[in-house]
Amino acid sequence: MTDGPFLWYLNRSTGLVLLVLLTTSTVLGVLAMNGRAGRGVPRFVTQSLHRNLALLSVVLLVVHVASAVADTFVDIRWWQAVVPVGATYMPVWLGLGTLSLDLMAVVVLTSLLRSHLSLRAWHSVHLLSWLAWGVAVVHGLGIGTDLGTDPATLLAPEHRWAALPTLACVGAVLAAGLVRLGRTRRPARVREPLAERSLP
Amino acid sequence: MTGPATSPVPVPQEVWIHGGPALLEGVDDGPSLAAHRERYGALPDLGLPELQHLVGRVGLRGRGGAAFPFATKLEAAARRRRPVVVVNLSEGEPASAKDSALALARPHLVLDGAVATARALGARELHLVLPGERTQVRRSILQALGERSDGLDVHAHEAAPRFVAGQARAVIELLSGRPNLPVTAWQPEAVEGLRGRPTLLSNAETWAHVGLLALRGEVAYRRHGTRQEPGTALLTLTRPGEVPHVHEVPYGTRLRDLLPEAAWGLPALVGGFHGSWATWPTVASARLSVAGLAAIGTPLGAGVLLTPAAGTCPVALTSRIVDFLAGQSAGRCGPCRNGLPALGVALRAVVDGSGGTDRVAELAGLVRGRGACAHPDGTSRLVRSLLAVLPQEVAAHAAGGCAGEHRAVAS
Amino acid sequence: MSRLRVDWPSCEARGLCHELLPEVVDLDEWGYPIVRGEVTDELVADARAAVRACPRLAIRLVPR
Repeated sequence: MTDGPFLWYLNRSTGLVLLVLLTTSTVLGVLAMNGRAGRGVPRFVTQSLHRNLALLSVVLLVVHVASAVADTFVDIRWWQAVVPVGATYMPVWLGLGTLSLDLMAVVVLTSLLRSHLSLRAWHSVHLLSWLAWGVAVVHGLGIGTDLGTDPATLLAPEHRWAALPTLACVGAVLAAGLVRLGRTRRPARVREPLAERSLP
Repeated sequence: MTGPATSPVPVPQEVWIHGGPALLEGVDDGPSLAAHRERYGALPDLGLPELQHLVGRVGLRGRGGAAFPFATKLEAAARRRRPVVVVNLSEGEPASAKDSALALARPHLVLDGAVATARALGARELHLVLPGERTQVRRSILQALGERSDGLDVHAHEAAPRFVAGQARAVIELLSGRPNLPVTAWQPEAVEGLRGRPTLLSNAETWAHVGLLALRGEVAYRRHGTRQEPGTALLTLTRPGEVPHVHEVPYGTRLRDLLPEAAWGLPALVGGFHGSWATWPTVASARLSVAGLAAIGTPLGAGVLLTPAAGTCPVALTSRIVDFLAGQSAGRCGPCRNGLPALGVALRAVVDGSGGTDRVAELAGLVRGRGACAHPDGTSRLVRSLLAVLPQEVAAHAAGGCAGEHRAVAS
Repeated sequence: MSRLRVDWPSCEARGLCHELLPEVVDLDEWGYPIVRGEVTDELVADARAAVRACPRLAIRLVPR
């Protein structure tokens, strides 16, 4: 089964599922910073979900890349999965996918080593995940056959099943981005006492 | 309230310096290097073991407030390579003027102590931290530095005009070129301080005692004080509205003998704004001793004895000090940033009779030990001592019967 | 035995330490941690999880 449509199906499906996973993880990452401890979903739950979905994405990313490389229908070499330039098959769109993978690799590695880094260093690198997500979406739009090649036909009936989730993901991350930008201000110097809000 | 509260005792621009038996011997000589050398002689070259022996034998303790054994710091700093020596003259506490007194009268004694130690340790760098709000102190130290050449790499820095700016880690931050505010210390400065190097940071008075030991030796040092606590200490006697007095006092001296008669019969604040209240009977029977004063619950701290004018209400004075201290928080640590203003509010409620002491006691307990520096701890100590030592004065407010003058403390 | 130390200037009252280690960490009225007592051997694993989970890297487990 190293040839034929299976690998192609696998590659397409993992691509779309990755988009959903990475989007969910990004949104949860922002949600984990909001709200107040002791109310609603415990923060460590949001935070663990954010991390575990991201780690699951890594596994899926390996499958996604492996299926693209192993598929003999297109000419993609192993080194092209990590070096973002010099590919022969759709060099720009493939290169963007590779770039996104590299960025994600850095984000994941620094997060695994987080306790050994300074908060500032870890956080600066972690902000790259926004870029990685954006580049990955452009890669998907450019190289993905399920969305067609012409933006005008994106919402055509045959593409709708893949286009709608993609648009939903873009919308979700844009919303998360706005929430994130809204809370970059430092916390107020004096907080309202929790006691005046009902504690559980 | 608009803006941070001002100190009930303004930062002194003048100080009465009384002559003393050792550090302040013959202060009328003036601060010149020539006069200093004539009185104390040339600075001998001490080896590290010799210096360690000297400071260890007399049990020299830090005079910045924590009374940490100097010999322990020195040993830690000597253990690792390329140590740095820092003289802390920042004196962020407005009620204290003893480091200012040394800077004005005996700058070379302070510098001799630091230089002798730097030489013994093989340190190349000497840093001086000067107070932001005491211009004469800065001028005197810079002038003294101009008179000598010790072959060291000397740097002078200006501390921010803030109560917590003189805290050890805040000083290391200042020396590192960052904001002069406290940060968490995972290691003592003497182990890992400026740029990761062992940093021997001590208060100006501590360095003056090291200088005195280096110049005169152990036997002369022991001529004053007690067997357990040889030597002397500098005390600042502060009364709101008056120029502070600095005295050099041998250990073992009765505190009542130092206080003006006007202060007799009244409670006193021992240790300054981060200190503790003591009733007159306590003050009257106490003798100057680091261990003894700590044992009766009024640690000497940085050597401030604050005596309110007769008729001043100590509760109202404490409330004003707490409001001032709340405004002096660096605002970096949540419990201090939130807790000290809340403590100020709760204490004001006690003063005007609208609130009880439960909330005050709760907040004072809550902020303790929860900050990068000792600012919340010191503020908590002051408030807890008020409740414990002067309960009648506190209770009088709830009954609406405080006879004390509340306005007398206004600056 | 070990204990938790808070890097107060870094702490922003996110509260995950309390969620993961309520046996040792309470929250004050502003949401900042109150560390009560030592971390016993049975709690060390939970304490490590709390240290790792802190979004601000503001707590450490230090030997007693």
